[in-house]
Amino acid sequence: MHKSETVQGQCFWQKVYDMEKIVEQGLLYDFYGELLTKHQRQIYEGIVYDNLSLGEIAQEERISRQAVHDIVKRCDRTLQGYEEKLKLIEKFQNIKAKVSSINQLSEKLESGVQTDVGEYSAYGMQIKKLSSEILQEL
Amino acid sequence: MAVKIRLRRMGQKKSPYYRIVVADSRSPRDGRCIDEIGTYDPNTDPSTYKVDEEAAKKWLANGAQPTEVVSRIFKSVGITK
Repeated sequence: MHKSETVQGQCFWQKVYDMEKIVEQGLLYDFYGELLTKHQRQIYEGIVYDNLSLGEIAQEERISRQAVHDIVKRCDRTLQGYEEKLKLIEKFQNIKAKVSSINQLSEKLESGVQTDVGEYSAYGMQIKKLSSEILQEL
Repeated sequence: MAVKIRLRRMGQKKSPYYRIVVADSRSPRDGRCIDEIGTYDPNTDPSTYKVDEEAAKKWLANGAQPTEVVSRIFKSVGITK
């Protein structure tokens, strides 16, 4: 985990993964974007898919830059609110990390470089531990 | 013509992956790009950046404007200070 100071308004997984804002907004949009209105989605997609500036979106939508700014801020807050309540991204990131550890362990098993039985069972134990953690989290 | 260096998101849902592209700022959403100069993969730990340094420097020298996140990427790979 990064030893970064706690920034206000950041959720757990942002701190852990030290994420760029655009990546965070993109993930929030992937998970909860459907819950925004069509107009909000159109504007937010400009930010997360095409990395557009507020001014560029304003020009495209023929609204003021301030209006775009307000909409994006409101979307950020709305989406973060959903994450605080539902924690789907937090769960997703946790499970993803564990499954990829399991994947690596099983690759090591498959490669067959271990010679003694103890090593085999140690890997087995780790896989078992990780998978039961996943089952608990579901 | 105003030219910008920006990220464009590729990849699947929940698994973001970005290309660093050079594109005309007047038609930002039409999907066309003038040049593709790198990638940014935030899925790995730490994130993986691949930037064609020569092309990036060429575009910057020609006045292409990187977005905030792209300038941070350029800084972290040592293209700009």
